[in-house]
Amino acid sequence: MNILKLLANLAETNPEQLEQSAPRRAALESLGRFSAKALAAALPFGLATLPAQARTTLTILDSLDLALQLERLQEALYSRALAVTGTFFPADPTFRASVVAMQRHQQQHIVLLTDAIVSSGSTASAPANYDFTGTKNGTQPALFADVFTDFDQFLRLAQLLEDAGVRAYKGQVEYLSTNDFILQTALQLHATEARHAARIRVMRKQRGATVKPWPSPTDTSITVAGKTDIAYAGEDALQQYLPDFRPVPFQLLPVGFPGSTVLTQGVPEAFDEPLTLVQATALLALFTY
Amino acid sequence: MSNNLQNGGDEAEFAKPLLVPIKRRSFFMYAGATAGATALLLSGCDDDDDDNNMSPGTVSLGSGDVGVLNYAYALEQLEAAFYAQVISNAGFNTAFPDAAERTALTAIAKHEAIHRDFFKAAIPAASVIPALNPNWGTLNFGDRTQVLATAKTFEDLGVAAYNGAGALIQDPTYLLLAGKIVSVEARHAAFIRDLISNGSFADSTTVDANGLDKAMTVAQVLAAAQPFIKETLNGDNVGK
Repeated sequence: MNILKLLANLAETNPEQLEQSAPRRAALESLGRFSAKALAAALPFGLATLPAQARTTLTILDSLDLALQLERLQEALYSRALAVTGTFFPADPTFRASVVAMQRHQQQHIVLLTDAIVSSGSTASAPANYDFTGTKNGTQPALFADVFTDFDQFLRLAQLLEDAGVRAYKGQVEYLSTNDFILQTALQLHATEARHAARIRVMRKQRGATVKPWPSPTDTSITVAGKTDIAYAGEDALQQYLPDFRPVPFQLLPVGFPGSTVLTQGVPEAFDEPLTLVQATALLALFTY
Repeated sequence: MSNNLQNGGDEAEFAKPLLVPIKRRSFFMYAGATAGATALLLSGCDDDDDDNNMSPGTVSLGSGDVGVLNYAYALEQLEAAFYAQVISNAGFNTAFPDAAERTALTAIAKHEAIHRDFFKAAIPAASVIPALNPNWGTLNFGDRTQVLATAKTFEDLGVAAYNGAGALIQDPTYLLLAGKIVSVEARHAAFIRDLISNGSFADSTTVDANGLDKAMTVAQVLAAAQPFIKETLNGDNVGK
């Protein structure tokens, strides 16, 4: 779908989105002008004050490309699941309907991100080959051997990828802050992903898993050490930092729920954490070859 | 860091430092320190600053990043007050007979209280808005349908507010913190929606034909939130 067709569709569907079309076009046209150097100049203090994270400087296109790759991975997972014949999905039709809805959103995100990249004068990277068992096409032991025969295993991988998708978008927002339109769009994509992640978690809970709609220290682990655990690395952070490395004194806040679980469970639940591009790419690599 | 948390987890420790008086100006000197010193920060924050009030009953959220933080603080105050009322209501067990639902709503109440107090701690004491008074109107907290419908309104509104306000934030640390909170709000929203109607977590009333969750301007959000707040909020300069 080209940009003009997309904009025409937007105009037909929602008058509020029509208003967005002009700035959207301008934003897309100016995408190519952003460089690592410009971003570094724009964010000297921000990059210096971020706590203990890799200080990579990325372009907006790097961020969009990462998002595109993650969306494609998720879309492929759902497409393959929906193509399975037989009794893979539970009898309750809401399970399948939810996966259909999420796959549709991923497809929409792929169109949007591809369009943004192409319209900026760049080229979207080629789609990868996916192996959702994690064997990299039979070259290493499987992580999810029964992903398309065991629905609970499929849900575990879906949760892993949706949670990681939320975290990866979050890790990129600082690199988008020079372009208000792209930033807001990324936040809107990010929030949709968070709804997906919560839904997958709710579906797992409905099927008896010990899991909450939000990442919690009380969740039963679904990861393999040294492999998929990167998806949740640092997610249960007990501390948050304000500018100038000021730690938030959670232990002194009058939250109104005295007791240590506010600090050890409530705080890590109340904040989702970002993934860096390097972490997200490592996770992607587990399921691509 | 973890030592501080463990020490602070004790209930007696929790309350004690709050009694220590301090002049507001001193707060800036101690703000970078840990544990005992940061206790003073909260005491400093307890005084409301009338400079914000444009007229009696009107609260200005302020300008720039502080304005955005106050804007988020106002919305988190509203959500926290709502869930606190939900779970402390005498009819909570009757309205929500499923223990798992009560546990989840109590967890959300904690998250929102943490968000509320996080913003109070993050905003300089001289600029932070006062505690707001909620206006629940005729809302029946003993009625599951009404409670969940209101929760959905607040959660979807909160997500749309953060989505729309991100571009107003200048400091990247605050931008990332807002990002850390908004996805938790989106998870709340999806969960509440599924309690109302299983599978409505991201339906077309909140996610558009591009797969984008809603974004709303400050003015749109405040217009929607105002009926639930007794004070009149003025967000004209938020992010400016």
